[in-house]
Amino acid sequence: MTRFDAIVIGGGINGLTAAAVLARRGKSVCVLDQAETLGGMAAPGPDGAPRGAHLLYNLSPAVRRDIGLGNRDWPFRSAPLPSVALSPDGRHVVLRGGEATNGDSSAHPDADAYRALHGRLAKYGALLRQLAENAPPGFDGKLASRSALRQMMRLGWFGLGLKRLGRDEMRNFLRVLLSNAYDTILDEMPDGPMAGLLAADAVRGAAAGPRAPGTVFSLIYRMGHGGEVTLPMGGMSALCSAFADAARNAGCQIETGVTVTRVLIEAGAACGVETADGRQITAPLVLTSTGAEVTCHLAGPQHFDIEATRRMRNVRARGTAAKVNLRLSSLPAVIGLSRDLMAARLIAAPSATYVERAFNPSKYREMSPNPVIEAVIPSVTDPGLTSGDSHYLSAIVQYAPCDLEGGWTETAKRALAKATIDTLATYMPDLPGQITASEVLTPVDIEAQTGAPGGHWHHAEMSLDQLLTLRPANGLGRYALGPAGLYLCGASAHPGGDIMGLAGRNAALAALASEGRK
Amino acid sequence: MSVFTDPALGLIDGPFQPRLAEQSRAKAWYGWAGYIAPAVLDSVEFEYFALRNQASLFDISPMHKYRIAGPDALAAINRLITRDATKIEVGRVAYCVWCDEEGMVIDDGTLFRLDDTDWRLCCQEPMLTWLLDATWGFDATVTDESDTVAGLALQGPTAFSILDAAGLDVADLKPFDLREVEPGLMISRTGFTGDLGYEIWMDRDAALPVWDRLWEAGALWGLRAIGYEALNIARIEAGYLAAGVDFQPIHATERLHRGKTPFELGLGWLVNFDKGHFNGRRALLAARDAPRTLLLKVDVEGFKPATGALVYHAKRREVGHITSGLWSPTAKRNIALAHVKASHARQRPGNLWAEVYTSQEGQWSTRMARLIPLKTPFFAPPRARATPPGRI
Ligand SMILES: Cc1cc2nc3c(=O)[nH]c(=O)nc-3n(C[C@H](O)[C@H](O)[C@H](O)COP(=O)(O)OP(=O)(O)OC[C@H]3O[C@@H](n4cnc5c(N)ncnc54)[C@H](O)[C@@H]3O)c2cc1C
Repeated sequence: MTRFDAIVIGGGINGLTAAAVLARRGKSVCVLDQAETLGGMAAPGPDGAPRGAHLLYNLSPAVRRDIGLGNRDWPFRSAPLPSVALSPDGRHVVLRGGEATNGDSSAHPDADAYRALHGRLAKYGALLRQLAENAPPGFDGKLASRSALRQMMRLGWFGLGLKRLGRDEMRNFLRVLLSNAYDTILDEMPDGPMAGLLAADAVRGAAAGPRAPGTVFSLIYRMGHGGEVTLPMGGMSALCSAFADAARNAGCQIETGVTVTRVLIEAGAACGVETADGRQITAPLVLTSTGAEVTCHLAGPQHFDIEATRRMRNVRARGTAAKVNLRLSSLPAVIGLSRDLMAARLIAAPSATYVERAFNPSKYREMSPNPVIEAVIPSVTDPGLTSGDSHYLSAIVQYAPCDLEGGWTETAKRALAKATIDTLATYMPDLPGQITASEVLTPVDIEAQTGAPGGHWHHAEMSLDQLLTLRPANGLGRYALGPAGLYLCGASAHPGGDIMGLAGRNAALAALASEGRK
Repeated sequence: MSVFTDPALGLIDGPFQPRLAEQSRAKAWYGWAGYIAPAVLDSVEFEYFALRNQASLFDISPMHKYRIAGPDALAAINRLITRDATKIEVGRVAYCVWCDEEGMVIDDGTLFRLDDTDWRLCCQEPMLTWLLDATWGFDATVTDESDTVAGLALQGPTAFSILDAAGLDVADLKPFDLREVEPGLMISRTGFTGDLGYEIWMDRDAALPVWDRLWEAGALWGLRAIGYEALNIARIEAGYLAAGVDFQPIHATERLHRGKTPFELGLGWLVNFDKGHFNGRRALLAARDAPRTLLLKVDVEGFKPATGALVYHAKRREVGHITSGLWSPTAKRNIALAHVKASHARQRPGNLWAEVYTSQEGQWSTRMARLIPLKTPFFAPPRARATPPGRI
C-alpha cells in the first residue's frame, strides 16, 4: 500500500496540469493513466504522428505559469499556421489572423467583413477567458468569506470588462453569445468557403450544427487565447512531454499502463483508488479526468446523492468527431494552392450551409456522406517528423456520431475513410494514390482509449445548459463531486476541453482551497 | 331507466369497492391516488368509536407500494432512507423518511423487509421515478405494486381477537413484525392509529374473500368498516404526520423553502449519520443543529379545534401555524400539531398562542388560545404494544 496526498486519474493534458499544480503546492502526487503514452486525447501515435488532437489554439499561459513553466515560453517551439478555406472551384481563401486573402494573395472581397468579425470575436474571447481562468461563480462559503469576496471581485472584473466594451458592443456581446453561428456569420458575409470555415470552427467536436443556439459561444471559446492556430514543433510528443515533464519536475510520480478500477470512499470522503493490477493507493484527495458518470461507477453510486447521479448520467456527451490519419508516399497538391500553403490548416467546408447539411445525418445516427474536415500535414512545417518524401495527413472528420446506427463496424469505418478521402480528393485529386496506410478512430475508439464519455472532444457537450456553473451539470459546477476530496479535473469540468489545461488547473486550485478551509 | 353514460374517466374502483359501496350510507367518497375511497361510510362518530373501542377495517390499497429487490437492494435502500436499513431484519417493518439532496423530506412510509434481498416500501406519494433514480447503478429492480397489492388496516382493541377468530395466528407478532400467515396472505403489526392493530396484505385478486373472512369473524367483536375521517382523528391522536398536511413533500412543492428536514418534523431519531452516505446526508449534517422550525404537540386551551390557526408569541409576534388539530374524544383534550420557529419553540414555549375563530350560532369572533407543549404522545395505550395482545 502506498500513500500520497493526492491521486490524479488520467495523464491527459488536464490530469497532468492538475498534478503539477498540486505538487507545486507541496502535495505528494501520483498520476495514473491506463494508456502507455501520456497525453490522453492529445497523445501522439507510435510513429510520432498526431493521433487525436493535432493543433494548438487554446494553450493557457495561466496554466504554463502554474505548472512551473514560467511566464514566457513553452519548452517547445510552435509554428503559427494560416488557415485555408478550401473551395471546390479552386478559389480558396487564406486566413492569417484577421486578414483574409485569396489563394493567390489577391484581395478578398469580404476581407473587411472578416477582419471586423474576427476582431470582435477575439475581443469577446478575451472576456470569456477571464471566466475560464476561474472556477465558475457560486458561493460555497458565507457571503462575507474571503473566497466569496475574491469571487465577487473577479465577477466585478468581468463586469468591468463588459463595460469597457462600450454600450453597443456590450449589447452585441450579450445578444450574440447565446445565438447561432450560422446567422451571426451570414449577417456579415455571403455564404461560401470563408463562412464555411467559421461555421466549421463553431461546431468542431460538437453534436450540433451551426444553426444551433450557443454555437457562437463555441466560436468565441476557440478565440479565448487570441485564436491563433499553431503546430507544436516536435509533434504532439513535444507538447505532451512538456506537460509530463512539468509534472515530474514538480515531484509527481507518474505511472502509465495502470487502470484505476475503483475509487475508494470511506466515511463520506475519498481515500484512495484501487488499480486493475490489484494495488491500493491511498490519498485524501482524488482528482479524476474521466467523466463524472464513469467516476460515479468507479466510486459506487451509494456515495452520491440521487439527484447527483441523475444529473451525471444525463450529461450530454455525444462525440461526433472522428480522426482519419493517413500516411502518404509524397506530398499531395491542392489545385489552386501553393506548396507553402500545404502547411496550412485546411478546412473542407465550402459553405456554412454545407456544414449544417453535414450535421443533419448525425441527428439520425448516420455519418455525413459529405463530411466537414480539418486537415493538417504537420510534416510540411516540421520535416523532422518523417523521413524522405513521405508525409502524414491528420484529419478531424465530422460528423461521425458515437451512437452510429448499426455500430462502428469495420465496414462502417471503411465507409468513413472513403467519405473522408473522397471529400479530400475533390481538392487533392492525387491523394488516393498517395496513401500508404490509414487509421480511423471513431468516437467509440476514442472512448475506449481515453475513457472520455462518448469519445467527446470536451467530455461533455459545450452547450449553454452545460457551461459555467452548470458544467458538466447543475450542482457539479465547482469541481467537487460529492464525497469530500473527490474532484472532477478533466475536460467535462469548467471551462471545458481543448489542449488548454484550465479545467485541471482550476480543479487543483479548488481542491487546495477546500483543504485550506478545513 | 338511467340516461347517464359513464365516461369511464376519473376515479376507479379499488379491490374492496363492492364491499365498501354496499356499506356506504353516507355516500361520502373522495379520490385517493386515483381510487374512489370513503371519507365516511356511515357517521364519523360511530366509526371513530368502533376504532378505539372495538375494531375497524380501513382499505389502504390506494397507498403506493413498491417492491425493491435484488442483491444490491439493501445498499440502494440504505442510500435512499435516513435510517440504517442494515438494522431492519427479515420479517420486520420500519417507519422511515427519505430526503432530497438538500435534506428536505420527500415522504415518509413503512419499509417491509420480506426477505434478505426483497423489500416493500409503502408510502403516500407516488415514488416510482424517484425509486428508479435511487436504484440506478445498483443491482436492484423496482416494481410498482400499487395496483396489484391490496391492503386492509384492521385496527382497534379487538383486532387481535378478530384475526384469531378468523383462524389467523398472530399472537406472537410484536409491533413492527411481519409474517406470511398463509400463502399469499401477509400480516404486519403496523398501523396509523397508535392502537393495537394489524395491516393485512394480499394480491388484489384475493382481496374480497379476505374481507369476507374478517367480516364474518368480526361480527362478534364489533368490527366496523370506516372512512378516512375517523382514521384521521386516530392518527392525530397518535401524533402521526400526514403528507401534504403536516409537511409538504418536497417533490410536490414549487415554491422555495417549503420543505422540512426530519429534524424540523421531530423525526431526528430516524436519521443515522453513522451508517455511511445517504441521500441528503451532507445537507442534513449542516442542518442538524440549525432547525428553522420545530414541530410541537400542543394542548390547545378551550374546545375549538385549531387547525389552520396562526401561532403567536405573547399574542403579538407571529411564530408559526397549526397543521392538524381536533378535540380528541379519547384524550379528552384539544390537541394540535404546531410548526413553531425554533427559537420560540425552544426558548419561549410557555408563551405561545393560537388565533382561533369561533362562531356562536353565527356570531364570529377571534380568540387567542394558549398552547401548552406536550412532551408525551396524546394517546399511547399499553394495549398497542402488549405481546401477545390481550383478548377482550
Ligand atoms: C478527435 C479529436 C481531436 C481533437 N483535436 C484537438 C486539437 O486539435 N486541438 C485542441 O486543442 N483540442 C483538440 N481536441 C480536444 C482535446 O484533445 C481534449 O479536449 C483534451 O485533450 C482533453 O484533455 P483531458 O486531460 O481533459 O482528457 P483526456 O485527454 O481524455 O485524458 C483523460 C485521460 O484519463 C485516462 N483515464 C481515463 N480513465 C482512466 C482510468 N480508469 N484509469 C486510468 N486512467 C484513466 C485516459 O487514458 C486519458 O489519458 C480533440 C479531441 C478529439 C476527440
